[in-house]
Parts: sequence; structure tokens; C-alpha cells
Amino acid sequence: MPTAAEFDQTIKSGELIESPKEMTPEYLRELKHTLIVSGDTELISAPAYYLAAKRAPSINAFMTGIAIIQDELAHAHIAYHILEELGEDQEKLIFSRDPKSFRYPYAFDVPLDTWTELVVANGMYDQAGFCLLGDIHDKCSYGPWKRGLNKVMAEENFHLRNGRTWMKRISASGGSAKDELQRAVDWMFPLSVEWFGLPDDLKMHSTQLEYRLKGLTNDQLRQWWLSTVVPYCEQIGIKVPAHKEERDGKDVWELDYPFPCAFDAEAKLWDFKQPSTWDDVLVRWRARGPRNAEMVAMFQEEFHKFRKTHHKNGS
Amino acid sequence: MTQRFWTALAEVKDPEMPVNLVDLGVIYGITERDGIVEVDLTFTAMGCPASDFILEDVRERLLREAGVREVRVNVVWDPPWTSARMTEAGRDALESWGLAV
Repeated sequence: MPTAAEFDQTIKSGELIESPKEMTPEYLRELKHTLIVSGDTELISAPAYYLAAKRAPSINAFMTGIAIIQDELAHAHIAYHILEELGEDQEKLIFSRDPKSFRYPYAFDVPLDTWTELVVANGMYDQAGFCLLGDIHDKCSYGPWKRGLNKVMAEENFHLRNGRTWMKRISASGGSAKDELQRAVDWMFPLSVEWFGLPDDLKMHSTQLEYRLKGLTNDQLRQWWLSTVVPYCEQIGIKVPAHKEERDGKDVWELDYPFPCAFDAEAKLWDFKQPSTWDDVLVRWRARGPRNAEMVAMFQEEFHKFRKTHHKNGS
Repeated sequence: MTQRFWTALAEVKDPEMPVNLVDLGVIYGITERDGIVEVDLTFTAMGCPASDFILEDVRERLLREAGVREVRVNVVWDPPWTSARMTEAGRDALESWGLAV
């Protein structure tokens, strides 16, 4: 194991870390934490998307939806597999954790109930995933993860395309279909903005950045997301509560509502007249949302049932 | 005569993999008559999740060619696609991406 000073030097030099032998315990802990968030996010997107993909409007659309779910499971597998190499028990991580201890964005806890909501998730949530993973792919100091993301990026592009193509199609058809799309965007846009976490001025210190596990700050990632989603929505005639401003010769994306603010998950409604604090948001996140237990049970229950019936000795 | 259409479709990327449709070997034939272009095309799998996107991209690209007023795509399954239908360039692209072909 390297000394703290040696390790610090390796990180500063831009070299990649290739195995646990080359890490300090602090780096290992932070890497594992980052991988768990990534694995959990990909994993939970599978039941979240599946419950909506069932409502696909054609066989081809259903196949696309299912293929996306398969990709997400494969991406989760990459993260959990690396965690296993780092000494974690993959089976325990997935099948024996309490639903509330899964570490994925709150957005997935709010049910996607229609095909329209699913394609908005592909257009907005997968864009968030694309920004976060793209940054890790670009900057991550842990070699095995960085390389594992090569294919992931191409696949996330495909998900985005599904989201964007369908959003455009639904918007163009107008009438009640377009109204439904607008309603979905109205509640899903602010949830995606929240995805990137605390604003930089509240987050004093980032070990993830220090260790080069990622390269961009929360606000930089959020700006990247806004710079792709806002123009696209405007282009297809969908309203979003954000606009572009020029500051010191640079484009900056500004939100048109207090950030953060109050959200009613059951009604899928934001109250832009009621600003809240980040402490309130953290309480909501930690309590998890409406669909957390149901989604985790979707893969955990059958695993344990199968175990019981197939391993009579309790092995 | 149809060379320019092949060149055009060589610009259309597969939506899932970093390879174009011509190098992937899924374009079986192209004919043109009076501004109507007909394309015989297959998919690498019957359950191809990207088939809608591919059809859309092929139509959209060919309609940008001068004199083309209509594009008809026939999806064919005979002969079935195998990886042997890929060009050397297609093979290289997928290999560099980590797919054994």
C-alpha cells in the first residue's frame, strides 16, 4: 500500500490507479461509495423503466424499451463487478440490503406510469446519467472503471435517442398527447435538475474531485445537462422553466423557479411558490419516495423465494 | 448509377454500435428509377431494438440526395445476416470497441 504522500503524488500526476494494492484506504472507501451510487442507479432504473415499458404503444417500441432495460442491468453489473473485485459481496449488495439504503437519485422513486413518462425519462434521466458517466469516463482515476464505460456511453446515447425521438413525435402530434408530454416534463424536469445534488456553494469540499473519481462539480454537471435539455425541449415546442443568460461572455443556464422547492410526489406537482431548503430536500431523499420498496422487492423477493425452494439445506 | 446512394448510406451510423450500415453489411441492394429509390435491408437480429431508428435514418439520408422524391425500404430476412457480411472496416471498428467479430 502506498503512503498518503506517495498516493497523493500519483493522483496529482494524472496516472491511473489499477488495483487495490495501489490505493489508500480513504481512496478505496470513496471509490466504493461512488461505484455503489452508480450501480444502484443503473439497477433501479430497470424496474422503474419496466413498469412503464409494459405500456409501449407497439411491439417495436416495447422491444426498444426492453433493450434499454437490458443495457441498464448490464451497466449495473459493471459497477457491482468492480465492487466485487474491491472486496464487496455483490449478492449481498443487491439482494440483502434494505430498500431505503439503496443510493440512487430520488427521481426514480416517483412512478413512471405511462409510455410518455418513460420516454421523458429516457430524454432527461438518461441525459443526467450520460453527463455523470461521461465525466467519469473522461476523468476517472480508476482505470478499470474508466475503461468499462466505453460501451456504456454508446448505449446511453441510444437511450437518449429513444427519448428524444419519441418526445418530438408526441409533441408534433399535438392535442392531448402533447399536453400529457408537457405535464410529464413539468414534474420530471425539476427532479432531473435535483439529480446533480447540492449546489457548489453549499458543498465545501469534494473528496471525489480531489481523488479525480470525477472531474466536474455538481453545478458544472447541472449546467451541462441544462445546455442539452433546454434547447432540445424548446426546439420541439415544449416549455421548460429555465433560460440562457450571458455572463462574462459565457452562456449560463438559469432556473426560473426557486431551487430547491417543495414537491408533492403523490400528486407529481412542484410548488414553485414554496421555496424549501436543502435540509428539507435531504430529508425527502433519505425517506425515499413512493416506489422505493416496491421496486427493490421486484428483484429481491423472488431471489429469496428461489433460494428457499432450491437450497433446502439453507445453503 | 447507385454508387452515390451507397456512399450516402455509408454515412448512416448504426444507432447502437460505432459502425455504419454499409460496413455492417445490412444493406443488400439499392435500385433507383424516376426518383424512387428502393433499398433492400436487413437487421442483425429479428428483435432489433433499433429497427425503427434505422429505417428512419435511411429514409431521411436518401431523401437528401438530389433528385430523390421517394424512398422505399424492403426489410428482408433472406439471406440472414451473419458477421461474415461485415466489411474489414466494420470489423475493425467493432473490434476497437471491444466486440469480437
